[in-house]
Amino acid sequence: MVKRKKSYRKKRPIAVSIIAAAIIILFLVRLYQVVVPLIQQQVFINGISSPLFVDGSLTPLCMAIITSAVYLILSILGIIVLVGFLKVRRWSWVVLMAWTGISLTISLIDYFYRRPNYIVMVSNVIIAFALNQADIQRIFGIRSDDRETSL
Amino acid sequence: MKPASDHLTTPVTATNLQLLRQFEPVVCYTKGEQFYPMGVDHYIRDCSLWAHYPDGRDELLIKQGEVTPEKLVETRPAVFGTVRYLRFIEPLNLSEAAQVLANQTLLRHRLRNYFHAGTGRLARGGFLPRMADGLFSLSFLLRGKVSAATAAAAELDYHEMLKEEKKYVYYGRVTRQNNWTVLQYWYFFCFNSWRSGFHGVNDHESDWEMISIYLYEQDGQLVPEWIACASHDIKGDDLRRRWDDRTQLDLEDTHPVIYAGAGSHASYFRPGEYQAEVNLPLPDWLSGFLKAWNRFWTETLGQPAGNPLRIPFVDFTRGDGLAIGNGKSHAWSPVLIDESTPWVSRYRGLWGLFARDPISGENAPAGPMYNRDGSPRSSWYDPLGFAGLDKVPPPPIALQLLEKSCEKINRRQEEMDRLIPEKAGELQMLGIRLKGMEGNPHLAKQYNALTRVLNSLADEVKGLRRECLENSALLQGLTQQIDRIKAGGKDDPCAHIRHLVMPVKPGRVLRFENVAETWAAISLSLLLFIIAALIFFTPKYAWPGLAIILITFIVVESILREAFTQTIGRITLILAMIAALIILFHFWKWIIVGTLVAMGFSLMFQRLRELTG
Repeated sequence: MVKRKKSYRKKRPIAVSIIAAAIIILFLVRLYQVVVPLIQQQVFINGISSPLFVDGSLTPLCMAIITSAVYLILSILGIIVLVGFLKVRRWSWVVLMAWTGISLTISLIDYFYRRPNYIVMVSNVIIAFALNQADIQRIFGIRSDDRETSL
Repeated sequence: MKPASDHLTTPVTATNLQLLRQFEPVVCYTKGEQFYPMGVDHYIRDCSLWAHYPDGRDELLIKQGEVTPEKLVETRPAVFGTVRYLRFIEPLNLSEAAQVLANQTLLRHRLRNYFHAGTGRLARGGFLPRMADGLFSLSFLLRGKVSAATAAAAELDYHEMLKEEKKYVYYGRVTRQNNWTVLQYWYFFCFNSWRSGFHGVNDHESDWEMISIYLYEQDGQLVPEWIACASHDIKGDDLRRRWDDRTQLDLEDTHPVIYAGAGSHASYFRPGEYQAEVNLPLPDWLSGFLKAWNRFWTETLGQPAGNPLRIPFVDFTRGDGLAIGNGKSHAWSPVLIDESTPWVSRYRGLWGLFARDPISGENAPAGPMYNRDGSPRSSWYDPLGFAGLDKVPPPPIALQLLEKSCEKINRRQEEMDRLIPEKAGELQMLGIRLKGMEGNPHLAKQYNALTRVLNSLADEVKGLRRECLENSALLQGLTQQIDRIKAGGKDDPCAHIRHLVMPVKPGRVLRFENVAETWAAISLSLLLFIIAALIFFTPKYAWPGLAIILITFIVVESILREAFTQTIGRITLILAMIAALIILFHFWKWIIVGTLVAMGFSLMFQRLRELTG
């Protein structure tokens, strides 16, 4: 009789799930930010009907397309990081942390100088705190040495 | 019990001078060192004596060339707060300063006495310590300091003195306390050039350093057991090493080998480069805030501890320069001192310039017996406590004390063996009497009184039983210790050390070393230029611009230090805390409501699960 191999599924820590959920929220927000400029310029109704450059400068339509493209790239990057994160890859922790740091900096500048996006801010705060959990850092192989920082 | 074979002994009948000579340390200095231990007589003759009064006045008491050890100790009444000090280098005008600086360069060139720092100290610390270092350097604008010209003049004068009389002096003192014989070697230097010569913390005229050796008596012989060296702010147990600890102490025959820090003259047991860290002198409220922040950072957020406002200074203790002592090209000239030596006990002033530095780093030290404020120096009156040896008996006495302690505990155990059954029986008797009273309301008063007696007796029995058990464990430990000593075994020689100071590991310190060095040298200035540009060109965005630039600088630094991952984590965490405070400020009501609702659901879920089994 062939013995059936027992499968041991590693239980995913709750913090990883929380971070994954926050990344998905951010992805949805970014997706919304992809669509909104295009809706405002009625691209879905009229298509790209007007010129993108006039006298060597960008038209509002062109700006909307660039903005959407940037947010689309960000959304795709978010998905790649999410996949790496769920597969517990060290690089995904580093990219996500750097990404969260940049995003938080922009959020804080927006808060003081423009219109703040609290949903993005909250998601980033959750991600930052969750990523800094000792267990999470151990899982991703971040907290394995005590090298000094440059702070 | 016999002294360990590597403990070379000396008879108890040896004179103090013989004792000092037998164990005098070999001191190795770093190449580039400019000052070596010298006699005080010549130095005193070259000094003037001054008094600084609380109203800010300075008065010349004795002119340069007229000071003698006898005149130095003459009684001179003065108001409270007066600081008496010697002055080795007289004030220099601009042309004199330029002249001595040029002569110093020529002298070093002639002697080929150069110092190469290697990886600079600024590159060894992070960006924030470097900012703290910038503040420290700026603090010299407000604090009194010893000028570079003074250091140069001191170097030239010392060189002249050395030409007249090439003698390396130590002042030896022998004292006996608590069955220990203590040999103290005091070294006097006419100048401490740590800051000007070796990128260190301070410069000051004159310097006193000390090494102590602790011996015990056994079978008519004195056996060395411990050695302690004065080294910056290290105190107590951490200062001393055991004589037989070959990992921490080098011996040449009966002479310990000590390595002196370049310019600072602080003593170390191992050669190398020590990263001495200096805390910025901060006001109490700021220190309190930083302490609370550190607690929150480490305990609540689980981050590694660190103090960014600690400035890293390197104490270069390479031992590749001049070596003085037994078997070396230069020998020691010992001079005995004690409390009867007038300049030791009766001169309480400073041995060099009083630079009016409120944090004292640049003020000259007082003599071997006193602190700068004239109070007695603990290393003089309490040489055992100074190295944490006041609680340590010499090995032969240790055995006696252990046996005495065992006897005492055994006697107490015997007493308890008798007391515990007696008291336990008494307790049972009271218990049964109490039981007999139950159900008789008229005995309520007696019942309550007896209950109190019973409770107190129960506590006593419990305490005796605990003491008996603890004593057994203690006795077991003491017996093991006695057996070990009788068998000639010893404890771990480093067991007493809480913080072992070790030189930094040699080899590559930083990635892209040259780039890192250049970056360390220019980054702070570059930051200041960018801030100036931000304020000038985009004043509206100066603050966010500053934050972004600061973060960028720290990240660049982290890449050079191979600490990008940790640094990015910490920066993000700090930003997240700021964002969390903003969210809390705007949405506190929603957060409270949300928390209450979540708690409600959680409780309901638990209860319902209980209900449904």
